[in-house]
Amino acid sequence: MSEEYIIEMRHITKRFPGIVANDDVSIQIRKGEIYALLGENGAGKSTLMSMLFGMYEPDEGEIYVKGKKVHITSPNYATKLNIGMVHQHFKLVSNYTIAENIIMGMEPVKKVLGLFPTVDIKKANEDIRKLSEEYGLEVDPTQVIEKVNVSIRQRVEILKMLYREAEILIFDEPTAVLTPQEIEFLLQIIRNLRDSGKTIILITHKLEEIKQVADRCAILNRGKIVDVLNVAETSTKTMANLMVGREVSFTVDKPPARFGETVLDVQNMTVRNQDNFDVVKNVSFQVHRGEIFAIAGVSGNGQIELADAIAGLMEVASGRVMLNGEDITHMPIRRRTEKGISYIPEDRQEFGLELDFTLRDNLALKSYYKEPFSGRGGVLRPDEFEKYGQKLIEEYDIRSGQGTMTQVRSMSGGNQQKAIVGREIELQSDLMIFVQPTRGLDIGAIENIHKQIIAERNKGKAILLISLELDEIMNCADTIGVIYNGAIDKIAPAETLTMNQVGEFMMGVKSK
Amino acid sequence: MSRIIIDGLSFALPLFIMAIGGIYSERSGVTNLAIEGLQGFGAFVGALFVVLTSGTQGTDSQVIFYFAFLFAMIGGMVYSLLHALLCVKFKANQVISGVVINILAMALTAFLTKQVNKSVFNQPSDKFQLGVSSRFTVPVLSDIPVVGAVFTNVYPFEVIIIVVAVIAWFVLYRSRYGLHLRACGDNPHAVDAAGRNVGKIRTVAIMVSGALSGIGGMCFAYSISAQFSESIYVGYGYLAIAAMIFGNWKILPTLGACLLFGFARSAGYQIVQVLEKPSSYSDLVMTLPYILTLLLLIFFSKYNRAPKALGEIYDKGKR
Amino acid sequence: MKKICVKLLGNDRTQFIAIPIFSILLSLIVGMIIIAGLGKYPLTAYMNLLQGSGLMPKPAYSAYQGMLTDFMSFLNMLTPMMFAALSVAVAQKAGLFNIGVSGQMLAAGFVATVTVGYSEMTAVIAKPLVILIGIVVGMLVGALVGFLKYRFNINEVVSTIMINYIVQYLTSFFINTRYIDEISRQSRAVSRASRLTLMQVTVGELKVDIPLCIILAVIIAVLMKFLLDRTSLGFEIKAVGSNRNAARYAGISVGKTMVVSMMISGALAGLAGVTYYMGYLESIQPKVLTDTGFDAIAVALLGNNNPIGVIFSSFLITGVTKGSSYMSAASGIETEIASVITGLILLFSACSAFIRYEVKKWKTELEEAERRNADVKNNH
Repeated sequence: MSEEYIIEMRHITKRFPGIVANDDVSIQIRKGEIYALLGENGAGKSTLMSMLFGMYEPDEGEIYVKGKKVHITSPNYATKLNIGMVHQHFKLVSNYTIAENIIMGMEPVKKVLGLFPTVDIKKANEDIRKLSEEYGLEVDPTQVIEKVNVSIRQRVEILKMLYREAEILIFDEPTAVLTPQEIEFLLQIIRNLRDSGKTIILITHKLEEIKQVADRCAILNRGKIVDVLNVAETSTKTMANLMVGREVSFTVDKPPARFGETVLDVQNMTVRNQDNFDVVKNVSFQVHRGEIFAIAGVSGNGQIELADAIAGLMEVASGRVMLNGEDITHMPIRRRTEKGISYIPEDRQEFGLELDFTLRDNLALKSYYKEPFSGRGGVLRPDEFEKYGQKLIEEYDIRSGQGTMTQVRSMSGGNQQKAIVGREIELQSDLMIFVQPTRGLDIGAIENIHKQIIAERNKGKAILLISLELDEIMNCADTIGVIYNGAIDKIAPAETLTMNQVGEFMMGVKSK
Repeated sequence: MSRIIIDGLSFALPLFIMAIGGIYSERSGVTNLAIEGLQGFGAFVGALFVVLTSGTQGTDSQVIFYFAFLFAMIGGMVYSLLHALLCVKFKANQVISGVVINILAMALTAFLTKQVNKSVFNQPSDKFQLGVSSRFTVPVLSDIPVVGAVFTNVYPFEVIIIVVAVIAWFVLYRSRYGLHLRACGDNPHAVDAAGRNVGKIRTVAIMVSGALSGIGGMCFAYSISAQFSESIYVGYGYLAIAAMIFGNWKILPTLGACLLFGFARSAGYQIVQVLEKPSSYSDLVMTLPYILTLLLLIFFSKYNRAPKALGEIYDKGKR
Repeated sequence: MKKICVKLLGNDRTQFIAIPIFSILLSLIVGMIIIAGLGKYPLTAYMNLLQGSGLMPKPAYSAYQGMLTDFMSFLNMLTPMMFAALSVAVAQKAGLFNIGVSGQMLAAGFVATVTVGYSEMTAVIAKPLVILIGIVVGMLVGALVGFLKYRFNINEVVSTIMINYIVQYLTSFFINTRYIDEISRQSRAVSRASRLTLMQVTVGELKVDIPLCIILAVIIAVLMKFLLDRTSLGFEIKAVGSNRNAARYAGISVGKTMVVSMMISGALAGLAGVTYYMGYLESIQPKVLTDTGFDAIAVALLGNNNPIGVIFSSFLITGVTKGSSYMSAASGIETEIASVITGLILLFSACSAFIRYEVKKWKTELEEAERRNADVKNNH
C-alpha cells in the first residue's frame, strides 16, 4: 500500500438490473490533484463516484481512503472520511434559506432557557458568511434557495462540502448549467481549492474543461476504464476518440442558409409568471423558412417561458404572436399544433411524454383524436396506432424492450428523446421549437439530432432552437438571439458573433 | 356568547391537535388520510384502558383520566406504524394506505370492542361507556367579560392540547428534527445527502401524527360521545385534514381554520336555541362551517402550496 | 421459495391477476389464523360466508327461502357497491380522488326519493325516472367538484369532504322537518312502484328480491372499460390522470377533462345512490353517510381501477360482508370479523406495488445467477 494515493478504488464492479454500470474499474487519486473522469452519458462515471460517496455499495472490489480500507455505507460515513460531493441535480431544499441548507445535518445548537435544544440560526448565518468570504464564494446566507439563480445554488452546494470540512471534493458535471463566464469563475474556484490542499474529482464530458484545469484524466467507456492520461501531454482529439471509441468529427455539415418568407413573428411579447413577475419582456423577433434561429441564454432568463408562450402553454400578457401571418396570441394549444407548431419541450419527462403510456400511444400523443387514429364518435383504432408506431420506431431508430408496447418510463433518456423528436418532426409543422434537444444525450445521439434539425431547416421549416449549450448554438444557428433577464437585446447573424461575445451578452455585460 | 366560545373551543381544539398530527406527517412528505382511523384506534385503546381498570360504569378518577390519554397516544402511535410500514417500507400509494387503514381501524375496533365486552364483562355490547369528563373554571380570569369564557367550563384535555401544541410547534419550527422533517417534505434527496435517514424521519413524523390523533379521538370520546363506539368515526379526522389544507400546512393558520369550524358550529347551535326553532334546524346551521370553508377556499386556494414532495415515494436510486 | 414466487407472480402478462389473488389468499390465511385463535373452525366459517351470500347451499332453509333467495339478496347489496366502486375508479383514472361518493349517493338518493319516491307514478315511468334523476343529481355534484378544482384549484379531497357534510346535514334537516316516519326515525318508505328492487317476488317455490339494476351495473362496467381503452375521451382522461402537464402540452384541455371525469364519476355515484336508497333500502336514515362510498375506494383499489376488475372485487368484498351475518349465526363469530377480513384483503392489496417490486428484484437476481452459472459452465 503506497501512501501517495489519497483514494484508491480497486476492481470495482457494480451491476444494476440489466446493466453492468462499472466493470472491474480501478482508479488511484493523488492528494492535491485535480483528477477528471471523462466519459459519455451512461459510461458509469456518476455511478463510480456515487459509490465513493456512499450512495451505493459496490458489488465487488475495494475502496481505500488515505491508505485504509473502508466500507463506505452511507453519505454520512463518506462525510466523516472528509469526502464531499456536488451532485449534478442539486440537492437543496427550495423553501429553506442558504444557511439552513448548508447546516442541515450538522446544525449548531443552542439551548433555550438552558433546557430546550434549538437550531442556532444566528450562529449559522455568521459561520456561513465567514466561510463564504474565506473561499471567495460570496452568498447571502439568509436568502431563500428558490429566489437565487443556478450559479448561486452551486456555490451553496460547494459551501456545503466546505462546511463539512471535506478534503476530497467530487464535482458531478458542474458546468452543465453555467455561462462561459461563470464556468471560468468556477474553474478558478476549483484551482484555488486545489491550491489550498484539497483533492478534486471532476466528472465531465466536456474536454475543454479538462484541458483547462485537470492534472490527470481517466476515460471511461461502457463501464470500463479505457485509459488514464496526463492531461498536459494529450490532445483533446485523442481524448474524444478514446471517450467515444471511434473517430469523432467536431463540425456539423451545414449548407448555407436560404431564408424564405416569415413563419413566426413575435411582436413586443411580454409574459408573466404566477407571481405576476415579467419573465419575458417586450420581446420581438422573426423566424423565416429555412432559418435556424437560436436563442442563447443562461438558464432561468426567460427562454423556457418564451417557448411556452409561443406554444401556448403560458399566457401572453401583452404583444402579439403571429404564425404565417395569422394572430395566434390567444389560440388554444391544440389549434396552434394544427396550425403548424411542433414543440420539443425542455423537460421531456414532465411535459414531453406520458411516462406510464406505451410508446405507440406517446407517438400518437398529439394526433390520437384525428383520422386515421380515431373514427367517428371518438372510437380509437388500435391498428392505426400500431402501424404508425412501427413506422416511427423504424425511421427514428427508437430502441425499446417491447417495441410499440413498451412503457415509456422504462426506456432510456436518449430513446425517450428520440421518440419526442420523431413525433414532433413527423407533424411536419412549419415552425419547430426545439428546447435543449440534446440535454443528457451522448455524443452519437447529439450528432444525430443536430443532423435532423438541419435537415428540417433545409426542407424549408422554420426552426427556433433554445439551448443552454453554447457549442450547440454556435454549431447549428443561422441567427442568434441572446436573452438576458427576459429581454432579447442582441440579434445577429451567427457568423458575425464569436462564442465569447455571445457569452458576454448572456451575462448582460454588453448592451446593444 | 360565552357558550359559543366554550363549546367552540372544546370542539376546535381536539380537531386542532389532530390537524397538527396531519401537518407533521404531510410536511415530512407523507400524505395522511389515515387520521380518522388513527384517532379512532387511539380512542379505542384509551377507552379500553378505562373500562379494564374501572369497569363499564365510567369513573371520575382523575388519574385514570390522564392515563386514558396516555394510552390513547400510545394506541394511535402503535397503529400509525402500519401506515409508516406501508408508506415508507412497502412504498404503497399513500392515499390508498390511508383509506385502507381507516377501514381496518373501524373493523378492528368494532370487532375487538364486542369481543372484549363478551369475554371480559360477559355482556353483548358494542361500546365502552366512559361518561363525560369533568370541567373546571379558572377563578378571576373567568370574570373578564367575553374573554373570560375561554377560562370557563374548560375540559382538562383542552389544557393538555394547548401544552402539546406548543411543544409540537417548537419542535417543528425550532429543533433540528423539525428542520429535517420539513426538508423531507420539500426535497428528501437533500436530507439524504446531508446524511439523515429519510425513512426514519418520516416514520417518526407518522408516529407523532398517530399519537396526536389519539389525543384528539380520546377528547371526542370523553366529550361529545361520552363513550367509545362506532360513533367515533363521524369524519372528524377528515375534517382535520380539511383544516390542515385550509391552514396551508402551517400550525397557526390551521388553528384559525379549526377555530372557524368550532365557533361556526357552536354559534349555529346557539342561533337555533335563541330563535327557539326545533332542534332539527340545527342541522341547517351545521352546514354553515362547511359552506363557509368552500367559499373561503375559493378565495384562498390560489395561495395554497402543498409540500413539494408530498405523496412522492422516496426512492434513493432515483435522482 | 424465491423461485416459486417468481414463477407464480413474475410473469408480466399474468401479474395483473396473479398478485391480487396472492394478496387475497394471504389475507384469507391471516383471517383463518384469527378465527382459529377464537377457537372456531376457519373452514366452516368460510363456508358459512359462501352460504350466507347464496353461493353454497345451507343445510336447511325456512319456508319460501332457498339458495336463490340468498344469492339475489347478495346481488341486491352488490349493485350499489359496483356503481360506487366504478365511480371511484373513473375519477382515479383522471387522477382525482373522489372521497365524496357517499355524499353524492345521498344527494341523488334523497332527491329521487322526495320527487319520484313519494309520487303516485306508475312503475314504468317511475323506475326509469329514478335512474335518470340519480344520474343527473350525481353528475351535478360531480360537476361542481370538478369546476371548483379547475377554476379555483380547490383540492377535490377537501371539497368532496365538505360536500359530504353539507349534503348530510341538509338532507337530515329536510327529512326531519318534512319526510320523517315517526316510528322508524327514518324518512318515509318510498313507493313500491319507484323501487329499483322488486321485493319478495315469487319464483317457483321461493320468494326472492330482484335487483333490476345489477345488469345495468355490469353493462356500465363494460361500457366504462370501452370508454377508457378505446375512445379519445378515455385517452384524454388517462393522459390527464397520469401526467397533467404532458396532457396539457399535448393539447388536451385539462380542465374540461377533469370536469367531465368528475361528472361521469358523480353520475355513477348517483346510480349507486338510487340503487342503495331506493333499491337495497327504501328509506334514508338522517345524518348518516353510508360506508359504501368509502369501502368503494378500497374495492376500486382491489380491482386496480379497472372497470372489469371492479366487477370481481366488488363481488368478493360484498360477498364477505353479506355472508358475515349467517356466519355469525351459524358459528358464533362476531359479524365484525368479516370487515376485519375485508380490511386485511385491502391491506395486502395496498402492498401489491411492493410485492411486484420484490418479485421483479428476485427475478433479475435469479436471472443474473443463472447467467453466471452458465458462464462458469462455458468456461469449463
